[in-house]
Amino acid sequence: MTALLDINGLTIDIDRDSGPARVVDGIDLSILEGESLGIVGESGCGKSLTMLSLVGLLPNRIRATGGTAHFAGRELLRLSPAELRKIRGAQIGFIFQDPMTSLNPVMRIGDQIAEALIYQTGLDKPAAMAKAGDLLELVGIPSPRERLMAYPHELSGGMRQRVMIAIGLAGSPRLLIADEPTTALDVTIQAQIVDLVRDLKDRLGMSVVWITHDLALIAGLADRIAVLYAGTVVEDAPVDLIFERPTHPYTRGLLASLPTLTDRPMSRLPSIGGTPPEPGRRPAGCPFAPRCTLAVAACQTEVPRLRPVAGSDPRHRAACFVTAKEGAAA
Amino acid sequence: MTAGPVITPTDDRPTSLWKDAWRRLRRNRLAVAGLAILMLLIFVAAFGPWLTPYDFLSQNLDARNLPPSLAHPFGTDDLGRDVLSRVIYGARTAFLVAVLVTAVALFIGVVLGAIAGFYGGRFDKALMWVTDMTMSVPQLLLVVVINASLKQPITLWMEARYMETMNPIYRNSAIIDFVLVFGSMALISWPPYARLVRAQVLSIRNRPYVTAARALGLTNRIILMRYILPNAVGPLIVAVSAGLGTAMVLESAFSFLGIGVNPPTPSWGNMISDGLRVWTNYPHLLLAPAAVLAIVTVAFNFLGDGLNDALNPKGQK
Repeated sequence: MTALLDINGLTIDIDRDSGPARVVDGIDLSILEGESLGIVGESGCGKSLTMLSLVGLLPNRIRATGGTAHFAGRELLRLSPAELRKIRGAQIGFIFQDPMTSLNPVMRIGDQIAEALIYQTGLDKPAAMAKAGDLLELVGIPSPRERLMAYPHELSGGMRQRVMIAIGLAGSPRLLIADEPTTALDVTIQAQIVDLVRDLKDRLGMSVVWITHDLALIAGLADRIAVLYAGTVVEDAPVDLIFERPTHPYTRGLLASLPTLTDRPMSRLPSIGGTPPEPGRRPAGCPFAPRCTLAVAACQTEVPRLRPVAGSDPRHRAACFVTAKEGAAA
Repeated sequence: MTAGPVITPTDDRPTSLWKDAWRRLRRNRLAVAGLAILMLLIFVAAFGPWLTPYDFLSQNLDARNLPPSLAHPFGTDDLGRDVLSRVIYGARTAFLVAVLVTAVALFIGVVLGAIAGFYGGRFDKALMWVTDMTMSVPQLLLVVVINASLKQPITLWMEARYMETMNPIYRNSAIIDFVLVFGSMALISWPPYARLVRAQVLSIRNRPYVTAARALGLTNRIILMRYILPNAVGPLIVAVSAGLGTAMVLESAFSFLGIGVNPPTPSWGNMISDGLRVWTNYPHLLLAPAAVLAIVTVAFNFLGDGLNDALNPKGQK
């Protein structure tokens, strides 16, 4: 399969009054046609910014300053705002985090979906409304035709997220980027949304990037997981290998901090000591070195690059001097 | 496909922001009273000519300065004209001016404020600079200056046009009053609207649903017109209701000073002015227009407060 999206050495800086501060530092990521990629990392590690930068949606004073991002044969970072606008929605769809606030409160949901359709596909209003009903049915909303006339506040959070997904799908994008779409939802609803997206991906044959900080959640959804730390990819592997033989110490720390059924009640969950480096105050070597129990001298001075993990699947790569060449599982 | 969750039944009665606001407004008695008074005023202003028992211009010199009676509920003035009819016609003047001034000011304010807030940067700086400058012009002074400098040349020009064309429209001096004085009032009343809209747009443009609309590839124009401005309407309605009241009072004030609507066109302001001269002998000539103006002003304030509470429920104690 060919890569639909190929990001190389992407850097993103925040313009501060004191000078630029780097938040994304040389991200390499690719996603294949029809693949689903989970991007995992804690708040502020640059996962959302990376995806927003692709379509020119970075907030004020935050800019992509280097690297390339090839999408379906085009270089996204070089496109004009008008060209990017045509990519948004039509080629790359988005689902956002908070369904409670991501819908326009004064527009009926049918109109909101239809707006996207009219704009993306040039349908006329009645045809777009009919298609909007189909989309609501597709995302599993009961009595979809009646719901077209509802306002967002009349729907529950899970329903609204389904509407958001329907809107995200309106332009039939080849890549759907889901930015923590379940964070604001109940656990049972989260599972439904994950199932829905997986099902839609298979049916519509699109690629999905699922951004989350919840490793357990995307275990059942992603084909491959990229772990981000402080604006770099520290580990990138097929989903099974992330869980079976996590290689980067940060990945191991994340997995160790997940509760399991065999934990003693009331026992403390292991956590990773310290905090991630602030933008603009990155350590000279590996960004994780200050928090890493395995760090050696080289980690302090040299930045490790992503390289294949010895003795593992060739697609399993990690950026660590110590563990990536160990060759043995932790 | 997963089974969808059981639909949580929404309220029997789907409510919208506006229905909620209307419910809250209805609970506020003062606001309802204010609304009722204003509705009555609008009705009277709209159907004035069919409601007035007498023509507001027709003089009856045998019935001058009569006190209120059944035939003339508000009495008659020094030329024997029916005061009630003139007050009713004054409502037309007041409303026409208030709506005209507010509409023009609102239009300018919304356009400039939306552009400044949405595009930011240099646009914003320049527009806000113009706004601050305009705000610093004293309204009364400007209207006086315009009256003193522009009115006469325009009147002469209209007179000349009338001689040329014999078109009666050029004889209508009321047009000069309205266009000149209240046009200039509108042109300096827009800054509060521009500031309000700009502030609203600034806060709304970073809301998630605007980002979501951008992610759909919608154009700036659609995002502004359909996603941002409709969500800014609430505070704007409150401002407009206050603005209408202010414009009405301003009209009376200017007419009172003789730089607004001029006799014989009745305005509450010029009626108060006339009544003031003779109020010791004929208090009803002052009382009638002054009382109506006071009641209407209070009604606007009550309604504005009620709307504010109804549309911004979070601001309530």
